[in-house]
Amino acid sequence: MFGIEIFTKTKYKDSRGEHVLSDINSSGVSKGVKKVKYCSLYIVDGNLSLNEIRMIASCLLSDNITEGYKITKYGSKNSKSYLNNIFVSKAMIEVVYKKGVTDTVSSSVVKAVKDLGINKDIKVKTGHRYYLSGKLSKTILDTIACKLLSNTLIQEYKIKSVK
Amino acid sequence: MKKVKVLILRTAGTNCDLETQNAFELCGASVERLHINFLVNNKNKILDYDILAFPGGFSYGDDIASGKILANEIKNKLGSQVKKFALSSRPIIGICNGFQVLVKMGLLPESELCDQKSTLSYNDSNKFECRWVYLKTEQKSSCIWTKNLPSVINLPVAHSEGKFIPKDKELLSKLNKGNQVVFRYSTKDGKEPKYPLCPNGSAENIAGICNKKGNIFGLMPHPERYIFPLQHPRRESSGSEYGWGKIIFQNAVNAVK
Repeated sequence: MFGIEIFTKTKYKDSRGEHVLSDINSSGVSKGVKKVKYCSLYIVDGNLSLNEIRMIASCLLSDNITEGYKITKYGSKNSKSYLNNIFVSKAMIEVVYKKGVTDTVSSSVVKAVKDLGINKDIKVKTGHRYYLSGKLSKTILDTIACKLLSNTLIQEYKIKSVK
Repeated sequence: MKKVKVLILRTAGTNCDLETQNAFELCGASVERLHINFLVNNKNKILDYDILAFPGGFSYGDDIASGKILANEIKNKLGSQVKKFALSSRPIIGICNGFQVLVKMGLLPESELCDQKSTLSYNDSNKFECRWVYLKTEQKSSCIWTKNLPSVINLPVAHSEGKFIPKDKELLSKLNKGNQVVFRYSTKDGKEPKYPLCPNGSAENIAGICNKKGNIFGLMPHPERYIFPLQHPRRESSGSEYGWGKIIFQNAVNAVK
């Protein structure tokens, strides 16, 4: 299972990340967050070669002018949080749909992958990753994730500290 | 006199096809709206038409990025026919989502290459921007769609991903020098606008471009939504019984006749 992360290249404005930062600041959830970087996430499962995954990432999921992509093996850990309640300077919040919730973007991606000429049965799950910088703790990140970034009725999130 | 035949390509999520059809019909053309699946099964059908239109809407729900899935689908399944149509100098228009498709499949700004050289990205505000805007018409433009327009016109926009970004400064200068920039967002007096008059933060306030020959035209504003003065918030007309949008469609129909 591969995770494909689509990010805005540094020389372009990450308007979605800036919007989240503005929401965090204006909602009064935390004054400690200084920067937010937004990435869309596609979790692709199927018998695909690395070349096919690269083709999907470069030709379909990313915009070759403003966006880049990162392909990783997607982990199987299901725990909600990897962070103790100590302050860290960087963390990532990942939001995906809960099992059983219809993921409409996923259906479009499956169709579009076939349009690329890759005729294999694949499963796709979509999500969002927010990379936050500042003075962060598990409590603050949990509040941001619950109140601003996810609808916990249909979505689940996990928090990770990053380097 | 020859009846001009227009093909409007639609798919799941297209929602401005009927208005575009009405605009072309008012200009004396005969119009067919065909689904992409039909065209994929009848590939050469496209070449039966004189004008090709990619209408506005939210193709495939704007999933991944606006116009991206349809652009890939056309490129992979109908690419050679669409390219042949384009290189035969027949007029092509992409409105809003259609513009995003043209840019993302690489038909604009360099139709010969069919390689993506620019993009339409998220508005600086990260919001859906929906309002009437002023557009400065580049009078030197080679675009066949925008002849006889005054220096500033008024059209509505409605989009989330309309920020035009060329690959590099070189391309931007090439577009300027080659008179491929057709519309720029402006103030009422044709001066440089600030948000919200420029709704998206486009490079050099670009709202519409064409290819070198001027037959392929893409724009974020919706000309099909300003055919009659009644569609304008102040009931303004273009000086005739129609709005500015009608002139754009009429130009293409006249060019083919």
